[in-house]
Formats: sequence, structure tokens, C-alpha cells
Amino acid sequence: MSDGSGRRVRAIAAKEIVEFARDWRTIMAIIVIPLLMFPLLFILFPVLLESEAAELDALEVAVIVQSDDFPENLHENLSFAGVVTLIEPLPNLTTLSDPAGDLERVRNSSVDAVLRFESNNQTWSYAILHLSTSERSNEARYRLLATLSEWEDSEVRQRISDGGLDVNETLDPLRWNGDIAQGDVATTGEQAGMVLSLFIPLVLAIWTYSSAIQPSIDMTAGERERGTLEALLCLPCTRLELLMGKWVAVATITGIGVVLQICGLLFAIGYLASSSFIGLPKLSLVSVGLIVLSILLFAVMVVAFELALAMRSHSVKEAGSILAPALMLILFPALFTQVINLDGIEGFWFAIPVVNILLALRELLMNRVITEHVLIWVMSSLLYASLAAYYASKQFSREDIVTSLS
Amino acid sequence: MAETLLSLRGVTKKFTEVEALTEIDLDIHSGEIVGLVGSNGAGKTTLLRLMAGVYSPTTGSVLLSSGRPVQEMRQELGVVPESTGLYSRLTAWENIRYHSRMHGVSDAVAWARTEKFAEHLDMSENLRRHTKGFSRGMKQKTALLRALAHGPNILLLDEPTAGLDITSARTVRALVRQLRNEGGTVIYSTHHLAEAQQVCDRIVIIHNGELRADGSPTELLEGTGTETLEDAYVSLTLDQARPRHEDNDKEGVLSSWWRRLFTPRTPKATMGESTDE
Repeated sequence: MSDGSGRRVRAIAAKEIVEFARDWRTIMAIIVIPLLMFPLLFILFPVLLESEAAELDALEVAVIVQSDDFPENLHENLSFAGVVTLIEPLPNLTTLSDPAGDLERVRNSSVDAVLRFESNNQTWSYAILHLSTSERSNEARYRLLATLSEWEDSEVRQRISDGGLDVNETLDPLRWNGDIAQGDVATTGEQAGMVLSLFIPLVLAIWTYSSAIQPSIDMTAGERERGTLEALLCLPCTRLELLMGKWVAVATITGIGVVLQICGLLFAIGYLASSSFIGLPKLSLVSVGLIVLSILLFAVMVVAFELALAMRSHSVKEAGSILAPALMLILFPALFTQVINLDGIEGFWFAIPVVNILLALRELLMNRVITEHVLIWVMSSLLYASLAAYYASKQFSREDIVTSLS
Repeated sequence: MAETLLSLRGVTKKFTEVEALTEIDLDIHSGEIVGLVGSNGAGKTTLLRLMAGVYSPTTGSVLLSSGRPVQEMRQELGVVPESTGLYSRLTAWENIRYHSRMHGVSDAVAWARTEKFAEHLDMSENLRRHTKGFSRGMKQKTALLRALAHGPNILLLDEPTAGLDITSARTVRALVRQLRNEGGTVIYSTHHLAEAQQVCDRIVIIHNGELRADGSPTELLEGTGTETLEDAYVSLTLDQARPRHEDNDKEGVLSSWWRRLFTPRTPKATMGESTDE
């Protein structure tokens, strides 16, 4: 590239970034939202859930217990669990789960649940009637089940003990010896890489595509619609320089968005979990270099593809209606890639568009550099990136891009 | 004889279905204001875009005095398209500077030229303002300053006074004449004959993609044997003007079918049929 060409590409990119940054809505969409999205989701959302759970814990639920022989200690346990009980005789039923005459009072919430409990010599039968669409009723059912399970456990222990057996030996005859974590020979760095490899490629793929939509449209179909493209096409720059300038601008904006989102994600996980859960993956220099290369190739392909589609469109509206559903082309392969087993994976997976880069990222985040895989994804990604760039250059070379709907 | 700056030879421009321009031969000489006059859809904008190198001719050539195609020497041109093409989030000066940088002109040189012409256009106070709130006249003047900042040899203006108030239009025309007096060359597209007569040394009449006449106002009157330019224009464009078509922007089959599906039929009424119930 000559000096003049480089200067023009820089001028185009700088103008696009400055113009884009002057719109506060854009800054919100590209910078603030990605930075805050995961911390809000992972920190604020659990806080809200906790407060809701605390509210439920403080709740007293009303339960009708239908039994002719209800154990006193179970009655006490229910009382400790915040269950207010009213004992009624057990009606004559074929099965305990038949709602029969209790259907209406559970449905109209005059009672939160009905527990039916029947003694059969050495065993008991029970059933719970509840309304699954009511939060109170679900809570009542949850407390009944927990209390019954605890009571059953205590009954089992008592019976083992009464039979003259050791309770622990009988219930737990097979035991782990030593520290469970010590048995995993993977290093903490490798474990961190494994955890990160499950969501970083996904976030990267989806956010790269989605955050490039708005700038791609604004810089192509937007220019076309506003009538600014004609003046630009009269300037002494080639269409390729125009494409490159706009590509650099979109890639810069998208890159900032993606980096911020990943920072927000790591911060949120680091805040929630202990440092041993999510540490820094231990990566070799080769892995780091290949990660950068894979992201670059992916960005070239995605941004060029989006610029091309947006440039084909006559208006912002048309571009939006094409680019938004095209996200599926990234989303489905990205989700699918998460469930592919990397152990003994066949080479052809690394030649499939989108899938190849995401698999490569997963491998590299686990510090696995497999030459055959690297060669396949580098070559195939170069091919796809070149095809996308060629397609974009064809769109930018069209004469009709000078015309606008307005 | 003035130097020929731009030369069009046998230029035909075809879009998908329409021949927008047919066999145009035209020379633009140094120091003249050439008016391109024609109705809407005549082919003026297509001709200007060919001269600006935005379009390539289907046949024929558009060459500069150096013999090189115009696409290779766009820095010799200053263009003001009909839409002005200003970025609303940039100031007037930033818009001008962006284009001058693309032309390879330093900011200092571009600023000096801009200041000089901004005074003539009464725009000095507005150079630091964002163009978002600009009136049509201010936008047009900014676009003109932008086209002049790099010192072009030829200025291409597409309907530069369209939508302007009387004062702004006068200011623009005065600047164009001043440029000519300083030796500049201007190609001025308009569909107002009176304006062309007022501003231009030479008038080129385009109709249905054909060059119907080329000469000074006096030559046009003599050539057609008429007394006014309007009469001359009418006598040269007696055949019905074709409808305007939007270049080669062809609608896809599916889009066309879908649009028609949701377009109700226009009710047909026959002569004498009462519409009263």
C-alpha cells in the first residue's frame, strides 16, 4: 500500500470513528452496555434472586394435613419449617394423589397445599396436592418435601440402629480417601482455560457480529440513504481504500465492544466465584499468538461480510432487516460448537466456517496447539476471510451504490 | 483558443434497461462556465457523474487534458452533488478538512482557501459549527467550500441553487462568476434556463440522454431562429421527455412481486360513469 493510499484509509477510518463516537447512543450501545451487561446479569440478578428467596423464607404457608395417624415429631418439624398445619381426617380415596374434594380449595388458594399421609404398619404413603402456578403453593410443597425427606432419613437411621448395625457403615460403605481436588491432575491454569473456553468463543462470536451491525449499516446504507456517499465517491480514493477505511473503523469499534464485554464477563465471574474457580489460563506464547490470529481472521470475515450486505442494501431499514436475521449464521454454529467433544476431534471440523474459529479458540484457551488443526483452520479461515473481503469489494465497486432512496 | 480540460468522446451510458446517455461528444475548456440544461431525467446528473468519475462510460471515453481517464485524476475536480453530502455530526470545517485530506492537501492550505471563500459566502462564522442545524443554503455553501478547498481545476456543480432562497442563490452564482473571472472552470447543471443564461458562457442542452445543442446563448438563439432561450429550448426538445429512471438500481423479482401483492389496484372509472352511490 502506498503512502497516499495508507493516508486515505486512515483519514476515512478516523472520520468514521469520530463521527460514530459523537453519538451518545452509540457509546451506550458499544461501550457502556457491553461493559455492564455481564456484571449486572451476574451480580445484580443474583442479589435480586436472593432478596426474593429471603422473602419466601420469611413466609408462613398454610397446609392441610389429612391423616389418621400423623407422627408428632413430623408435626413439630413442619412447624419449625414455617408450615402452619391443620389436621383433618384422611378421606376415603382410591389413591392419595386423587384431588377429589380438595381440588377447589387448592385451586382457589384458600390453602397452599394438602398433605395426605397414611400409615401402613411399617411404612407410610403420602401425596401432596399443590398448585404449580402459585409461588406460595410451590414453596409449601418444597418445604413439605424437604421436611418429609429429613424425617425419612431420621427414620432410616433409627431402624438401622435398632437392628444393631452401624449407621455410617451401612449407609456409606464406599468412601473417598484424601482431598478430592488433589485427584484432578489438571493445573489450575488448564482448568481456568477449560472454563473460559466454554463461553469466551461464544461471546466473542456473537458480540463481534452483533456489535458490528450498527456501524456497518451506518457507514454504508446510512451514507447511501443520507446522500453522503456520492460526494465520497467523487474523491481521489479507490473503492478498495474506501472499503478498507470503513473496515478498520468498524473493526475498531467492534473490537472495543468485544474486549469490554469480555472484561465485564471476567470481572463478574471473578466477583462471584473464588479465585480457584476462574483463574488466568496458563497459555504459551504460541497459543496467545494463534488466539490473536484467529480473532483477527474472524473479524476480517465477519466485518467484511456485514459491510458487503449493508452496502447491497438501499436503506438503513433494508440493511437492518438483512443483517439482524443473518446473526443466526453465527449463533447456531456458535452454540453447536460448545457441545463438540474436543478429544479426538476429526480435522474436518476445523474447515467449517465459523465453527473452525470457535473450535480453534476452545483448543487454544486450553493451551492445546495441534499442528494439523492449526493448519486447517488458518488455511480455511484465510480462504473465508478472502472470499468475504472479495465479496465486499465487489459490492463497493457497484455503480448503483451512488444512488439513494432519498 | 482555451485549453481543453475535459473531453468526452462518443460517451454512451447504459444501465440495465435504459440508455441514459447516447453518443455524447463534449469538450470543456479552461476558464468557462458551462451550463448543463435539461428536464428531470434528461441525463444531466448521469453526465456529471461520468465527468466526476463516479460512473464509467459504457462506450466512449472521458479524458482529462493529460489524456488520462478522469477516475485516475479526481484531485483535479471539485464536486458538489445535488444532495451536498455533508456529515451532520461533523463541523463545517471538519467536513471540508476530511475531503481536502483525501485530496492530499495540508490542513493549513485547505484552511487558507476555505477562509478566503467563506468570506465571500458569508460563512466564516459558521465553519466551527456542526452542520446538523444548517439551512439548505448553508449546507450548499459548505459543500461549495469543501469542493474548492483543495484548489480544483474544474468545479462540477449539480443544481447548486436548487432549494435555496433568493439571497443564497445570488451569493452562489456570484461566487461561480468570480471563480470564472479568476480563471476557474465550472460545469453547472440546472433546469432553469434563466439561471443558465445569467451565469453560463456556454449552454449544453440535454434531452432524453442526447446532446441537443451546445453553444453560447446567442449561438443557441441563432441556431434555432428563436427570440428567447425558452423558445430555443422548446424547439430543441419537442419530443416528449422520458420518465426519470433511477440509474441501474433494479428491483429484484421477489421484491417486485411482494410489493405488488400488497399494492391495491387503482379503481378504474369510465367516462360518464357516476361515482355517486
